[in-house]
Amino acid sequence: MAAVPTKQETEDEDYSLLPLVHDIIKCMDKDSQDVHQELNKLKNRIQEAREQIIAMPGIDKSPEEQQQQLRTLREQVRTKNQLLQKYKSLCMFDIPKA
Amino acid sequence: IAMAVPERSTKERLLSVLDDLEVLSRELIEILALSRMQKLPQQGEDTQILELLVQRDTEFQELMKVAHQQGKAHQEMQLLEKEVEKRDSDIQQLQKQLKEAEHILATAVYQAKEKLKSIEKARKGSISSEEIIKYAHRISASNAVCAPLNWVPGDPRRPYPTDLEMRSGMLGHMNNLSTNGVNGHLPGDALAAGRLPDVLTPQYPWQSSDVSVGMLPPHHSNDFALEPPGHNKENEDDVEAMSTDSSSSSSDSD
Repeated sequence: MAAVPTKQETEDEDYSLLPLVHDIIKCMDKDSQDVHQELNKLKNRIQEAREQIIAMPGIDKSPEEQQQQLRTLREQVRTKNQLLQKYKSLCMFDIPKA
Repeated sequence: IAMAVPERSTKERLLSVLDDLEVLSRELIEILALSRMQKLPQQGEDTQILELLVQRDTEFQELMKVAHQQGKAHQEMQLLEKEVEKRDSDIQQLQKQLKEAEHILATAVYQAKEKLKSIEKARKGSISSEEIIKYAHRISASNAVCAPLNWVPGDPRRPYPTDLEMRSGMLGHMNNLSTNGVNGHLPGDALAAGRLPDVLTPQYPWQSSDVSVGMLPPHHSNDFALEPPGHNKENEDDVEAMSTDSSSSSSDSD
């Protein structure tokens, strides 16, 4: 029986559930008693994935919305920086023309 | 099977695809188990489900990648939010300082304007320095600090400010408004300055009786002060007597 990695949640990992399904089918083909164990593995894997998704930060929006928000934030920081830079570079002894 | 709507959040889509995966894998396993128990070949149906399962699985993996990217973007957004907060506080600080500067400048401008006003006022009512010096001489010549050594009671000389000067001042004008006409006589200092004819010489207490009145010890003057205030003329006499007394006492002490 092929060893199925139990922790696939880490980043850059394969999130595919197919290997688990494949293992189950293999067990069924062999009439192995491990089939229940494999079924539990799949069940747990799905539950873990669900919990992981719920806990993931920043996915409450669609990527497009998030990108839009990110652009807005970058723009804000840029504007505020420019504003501050403008005031910093003001010559304090210059009398503005009325 | 839910269709992916672009506006849905990644979380919703992931959970929905995961649900699909769960249902499809269960269905596939059930079909396979059933076909094995009944020894019946399941034509097509299992392949169809398998295809869907593979498709959903691919979708799930893609979405997980997107979710990870969104997680990274989220981190960046948090950093940017902190940056915005910091800049906001900087701007507020700057605004506070500018307000303070504005206040200081406004005060300075106001004070400068007041100064210009007073300069203008002084320019309009300018007095020649000669006149001021003359006036200063007059004040210093009038024994303002101490009585002349040869002063004796009855001497009409008075220290500055004399009754005439007091009357010509603001207080004197205020007093004139209320007591105008009551004061019948003219001040003795005017006489001392030699500006009045002898006919107008005022009558003083010491002149009416004898010289010894003016030589009374200083505490005697208290009697005058303790007397209940009468009408204006009497009060004025009191003042005259007291001023005389103080002059005499100062000359006595010499």
